[in-house]
Amino acid sequence: VAARVFRFRRFGYRVLALLLALLCAALGTTFWLVSAANAANARAHARANLELGARYYAAAIDQRIEFLVGSASVMSGDDAIKQTLREESLDARTLASLLVSYTQRVGAPVIGLFDPEGRQLANSEPGMDNENAGPFAHLIARATQADMPQASDYSYLKNELHVLVAVPLYAPYPVIIDWFGLAFPIDRAFAQKIKDITRIEVTFVATENPAAPRVLATTLSDVAAQIVARAAVARRPAEEPVATLTLPDDDYVSLFQKQDLLGEAPIAVVLQRPLGPELAAAHELESAVLRISVVALCLATLLALWIARGVSQPVQQLAAHTQRIARGDYDARIALDRVDELGQLADAMNAMSAGLAERDRVRDLLDKNVSPEVAAQLLRDGAALGGEEREVTILFADLRGFTTLSEKLTPGDLLGLLNRYLDRMSAAIEEHGGVIDKFIGDAIMALFGAPVAQGDAADRALAAALAMERALAELNTELSAEGKTPLALGIGVNTARVVAGNIGSHRRLNYSVIGDGVNVAARLQSLTRTPEYHTNIITGAATIAACRRSPSSGAPSSVLGPPSSVLRPPSFRPLGRVQVKGRAEPVEIFAVW
Amino acid sequence: VLSALFPHPAGCALAAQPLRGKLATYGSFCAVALAFFAPLRAAELACKITDTKNAPVADAIVSLVPLDAPPPTLAPPSEPVLISQQGEEFQTFVTPITVGTMVTFPNADKVSHQVYSQSPAKKFAFPLYKPGAMPTVTFDRPGVIALGCNIHDWMLAYVVVLETPWFAKTSADGTATLTGVPPGRYRAEVWHPRLAKTEKREITLAAAGAPSAPLAFSLALKPDRRIRHSVETTGGGYK
Repeated sequence: VAARVFRFRRFGYRVLALLLALLCAALGTTFWLVSAANAANARAHARANLELGARYYAAAIDQRIEFLVGSASVMSGDDAIKQTLREESLDARTLASLLVSYTQRVGAPVIGLFDPEGRQLANSEPGMDNENAGPFAHLIARATQADMPQASDYSYLKNELHVLVAVPLYAPYPVIIDWFGLAFPIDRAFAQKIKDITRIEVTFVATENPAAPRVLATTLSDVAAQIVARAAVARRPAEEPVATLTLPDDDYVSLFQKQDLLGEAPIAVVLQRPLGPELAAAHELESAVLRISVVALCLATLLALWIARGVSQPVQQLAAHTQRIARGDYDARIALDRVDELGQLADAMNAMSAGLAERDRVRDLLDKNVSPEVAAQLLRDGAALGGEEREVTILFADLRGFTTLSEKLTPGDLLGLLNRYLDRMSAAIEEHGGVIDKFIGDAIMALFGAPVAQGDAADRALAAALAMERALAELNTELSAEGKTPLALGIGVNTARVVAGNIGSHRRLNYSVIGDGVNVAARLQSLTRTPEYHTNIITGAATIAACRRSPSSGAPSSVLGPPSSVLRPPSFRPLGRVQVKGRAEPVEIFAVW
Repeated sequence: VLSALFPHPAGCALAAQPLRGKLATYGSFCAVALAFFAPLRAAELACKITDTKNAPVADAIVSLVPLDAPPPTLAPPSEPVLISQQGEEFQTFVTPITVGTMVTFPNADKVSHQVYSQSPAKKFAFPLYKPGAMPTVTFDRPGVIALGCNIHDWMLAYVVVLETPWFAKTSADGTATLTGVPPGRYRAEVWHPRLAKTEKREITLAAAGAPSAPLAFSLALKPDRRIRHSVETTGGGYK
């Protein structure tokens, strides 16, 4: 399936897919890294803030205690106050109303006066009886026992969480005649004040009953505070103090602290900071990254398509051009205005076109100068010197009385006549599959069976000879009509094993055949001048033997030869044996007609 | 009539309210007494005191000092004026009197009280005294005396000691009426606890029968800085 999906029909899609995949991977990784870093950073930041808030919270309590101790010390050291407090007419009710005055001076909501044994003499708070004020007695007892100048601790007053401070009244120092007991509540207002400064949510939870934890004070909503209370109860002592808690409105990084109470079970103090605001900047960054990514992807798409177009368009041009070349149009040139590989390819194709055109031209010339078969053989095997021995039928044709003729005619007329004659003869030879080896003045040397082997070479040669005879007759008819002297020719045909190949120097060579058989063919042609033979065509026994061997004996190939109806199979008339110059044995010759 | 204003201490709580209303017109009684001897027929002057926001100002003291005639001879009342303590408050916030008037401070409360003054016109301090006791002091010099209780910081009262028999205290609607004032030129003075300086203005009163325009003052008052007695807010939380 993947192979099918990723098999692109167009190069552009491949570039597009590749570029987009790379970009998506890069952007996705970046986004993920940024997100993860931001989230971690937000958590760390929230935690650092929390720890700062926790320190502020502790400092706020300490500062408040110090302030109360300071104020109480001023009061307890004041002579007028001491006198007033020791006045005989000062009953408990009046003392309580006096302590109300002191609550306003000091800013502590609760002030009580206690004797050195911790018994309460009066309290500014109306309902604060001896039982309710018990924690003060504990605190004073502890301070007395430890001989502390003052003492403070957390406890419940009338079931509400308070911070209690006990300060002695000396008369004179260090004789303690009374104790001031001051308290301020840890309530919603106190929590809110801490939140106003630190932006941290604070919740105090009584955990003595795990089934029903009690929220003592909080800056959160009741629902959220209940969740926090349950989480505080569920925590184990060994647990990491910081955890993320999900409340209805946001996730909160939460710091759980334990606070010991005077004579009571400890409470939990939970400080929290919402992650949302911490992550806001991160979310902004993330959305910016997303926007940039989308823009980058769009640009990459356009870029990929542009690049693909830049590649595929010239490739398509090159393909079209290649098809033109395939059709044989070598003159067409492709123009790509670029210097890259495609430009080089276009240049190479143009060079190829030029090369092909040149080859064509050379071949054309070759075809005219040498026979097409020789040209083809040259092009196929190269123009290397060397040859092979093979059976070839050689045809020699010569004009009779050409010398006399050349004396009578002007050179121009002579050449015209000669070319006209050679043209007809060449046509007759080539029609029969012969290869013109060379023109030697008015003589023609033609090969059958070389360079391309032919099984019926001898038949073809004889048929060609007869055709030449007929062609000359036609030419003569034309010449007569023109009032010119008719021509006569003699043809010798011989079949022999000869050496065929490129003959000449390295710089100039011809494909030709050499051997005794060639000379014999020339001699046979010469013999046609012998009047008593009464023939224009003479051949040897070897050729007749080759004719009989050939598969198409008596019926020349219809492929290369003229229509068979025109032809008649050659007839032979033995002319006896003749001694050929250069050969020891006499040769048996035949007239062909 | 005045003997009725001095009830047994136990009945003081009941007597306090009517007492306050009568004190407001106390000056008028004096004026009536004086007018009997005056050669000219006395006039009546309505006063209206507001603040800069046009809200009525209560507890403002309006008094008239004659400019053409010599200051009249004052006859202080033989019985003391009462400023009781109840609910850990002075039960009359502002009390105008003439020079030489006695003031008694009956403790009608459940707790002991103390009264002191550091004002130059009359410095004094009673020791802490139990419910039922009623110490008395005579204010023999003109001026404003601020009264406090040294064990109850929020307790505050003023005694305004005047040298003229023509004065009145504005009620909650900001109005007061001066009666029995002989025609003539006067310096009208307005005092209020939250006023930085006594307001003064010269006026001329026509003879009785001729309608005179009401005396109107618009006062720029300072913010109220009294300590609130916060029994009801005690234990009300962190401040």
